[in-house]
Amino acid sequence: MIGNTGVSPNGPRAMMTHPTTDAPSPVGTNEPLVSISGVSKLFSRRGRTVEALRDVDLTIGDGEFVSLLGPSGCGKSTLLRIIGGLQTADRGTVSVGGGDVQHARAAKQYGLVPQAPALLPWKTVADNVRFLTSLHRRRGSEQVMNDAEIQELLVTVGLAGFERSYPHELSGGMQQRVSLVRAFAVGAPILLMDEPFAALDEITRADMRYLLLDLWSRTHATVVFVTHSVTEAAILSDRVVVMAARPGRVAAERTIELPRPRTPEMEDEPNFHEQVRRLRADLREHHA
Amino acid sequence: MMRLDPQSVADSSTDVADGDPLDGYARRSRTSPIRRLLLLLAPVIGVVGFLAIWQLSIVIFDIKKFVLPSPWNILGGIKSDPMFYVRNARTTVWESFLGFTIAFLLAMLGATIMALSKFAERAILPLAVLLQVTPLIAYAPAIVIWQGFGLKPILIMTSLVCFVPFLINGVLGLRSVDPNLLELARSVDASRREEFFRLRLPSALPSLFSAGRIAVGLALIGSVLGEFFSGSTGGLGYSVKTAQAHSLTLQLWGSVFVLAFVGAAATMLIIGLERITLQWHSSQRP
Ligand SMILES: Nc1ncnc2c1ncn2[C@@H]1O[C@H](COP(=O)(O)OP(=O)(O)OP(=O)(O)O)[C@@H](O)[C@H]1O
Ligand SMILES: [Mg+2]
Repeated sequence: MIGNTGVSPNGPRAMMTHPTTDAPSPVGTNEPLVSISGVSKLFSRRGRTVEALRDVDLTIGDGEFVSLLGPSGCGKSTLLRIIGGLQTADRGTVSVGGGDVQHARAAKQYGLVPQAPALLPWKTVADNVRFLTSLHRRRGSEQVMNDAEIQELLVTVGLAGFERSYPHELSGGMQQRVSLVRAFAVGAPILLMDEPFAALDEITRADMRYLLLDLWSRTHATVVFVTHSVTEAAILSDRVVVMAARPGRVAAERTIELPRPRTPEMEDEPNFHEQVRRLRADLREHHA
Repeated sequence: MMRLDPQSVADSSTDVADGDPLDGYARRSRTSPIRRLLLLLAPVIGVVGFLAIWQLSIVIFDIKKFVLPSPWNILGGIKSDPMFYVRNARTTVWESFLGFTIAFLLAMLGATIMALSKFAERAILPLAVLLQVTPLIAYAPAIVIWQGFGLKPILIMTSLVCFVPFLINGVLGLRSVDPNLLELARSVDASRREEFFRLRLPSALPSLFSAGRIAVGLALIGSVLGEFFSGSTGGLGYSVKTAQAHSLTLQLWGSVFVLAFVGAAATMLIIGLERITLQWHSSQRP
């Protein structure tokens, strides 16, 4: 017996298919997938209370790429973890596909990409990629990617030929690519990424953005992406949620008006600079 | 030696000339075969050298055989009745192995509980420390009085001395799992059991192996001591005890030599297992 809870996988239906067709850029269908309303969260530690989140309202559409952008300590990670059911809000509600987050978690609706690659050092790249799908296999296994699909992702991120390598034989950037593929392999409709590229050097990081977009365009998953970087948020996202600290809150929301697919050349266009400028202004305005 | 080559600082086999660190790298990969053979044989040379010095001192200072026999005499003594030593070694190895295994299993149980509950850790840890700081030799007679003669008190003593290193390293190891990994497992709703067997236990292996290396020696101490006190009629500890009673210096030293050999062999076995099991671990990287 693997199951430990009586929860039935009646959370949101798997909203994702994995077409390998090069479908035109996926854009949010506007159908809400994640609805957050009035979410607040306090942390108390040694008598001091931190208002990590206050009255956060946010709706994320199915297939949308949303970034949470803000200074350190504004509650980005906390919000991401609340969406993923890894932390509970003190007040407010979060629903995913109409159900609650715990159901969504039990039904393997989430693919997580943490800040550090967090690979199993004792497993090969191929086994690491399959690690999450091999856990709790009985639930949500219909959506899990098959070997051919996973192999295709590994090829996409340039890891073909490294399937049998161990993490310590890879560079930091390669490890983070494994971590990305691992999250996509779950076949989850919602991908939660907490500063996945923060530890990488600037050049590797720039490449990773387009790799991520490439992977994403194959899956139509909904992505919630936490970042400190204004340019990163602008080049990746359909929409950027600008957050402010003390208390952690949503300060502004900006739709990024750039066509897809996004390319490195776009980063030189005036339109891109305009998007970045607006985000910077939002950040500055709400900086305490 | 001024070298800015962090890898070779820890690596005694890279005794290259001073100068350009790149030069060091280049030379390292092309160590001469004789050098390599020498490095390989270094441990043997160390042991044999020690025995040779011993042998020589006996001759030079003319030390009497019944006071301190020479290594050559001791080895000769073992050779004159090898079955005696094999038989006794077998008994001691078996006792040590059983005690070691019991300690490992019980300690893993304890470590699991302690790793999952801060309260259990705080409650059990002082007991473990007390157990560790109390000399076994002091309470060994008490165990015999309580349990009577036979194998049981020996196993109790052996497991008691091996228990603490396994417990402490076990807790450390089970706790050492990357919190990001735990969170990943939770994000797909992995069960506690999967979390334990697929994340915590493999993460604990490196510390468990270090505990194992410590415990091998302790297990031998435990079983020899057990044989001293519990009226055994076999084992290398028994052989030492009877040798002392009858002033059989050669048999005494022969038993000590065999114990040293058994301990070394067991340690090498553990190190070998560790190499195979932990190829992925940073401590095993070249
Ligand atoms: N488990 C916790 N216990 C106590 N305080 C916490 C905890 N988690 C977060 N906090 C506090 O809540 C606030 C928001 O934290 P959070 O990690 O969400 O910020 P963040 O926006 O992700 O910051 P960063 O960009 O540095 O990662 C911070 O002040 C932090 O100290
Ligand atoms: Mg964070």
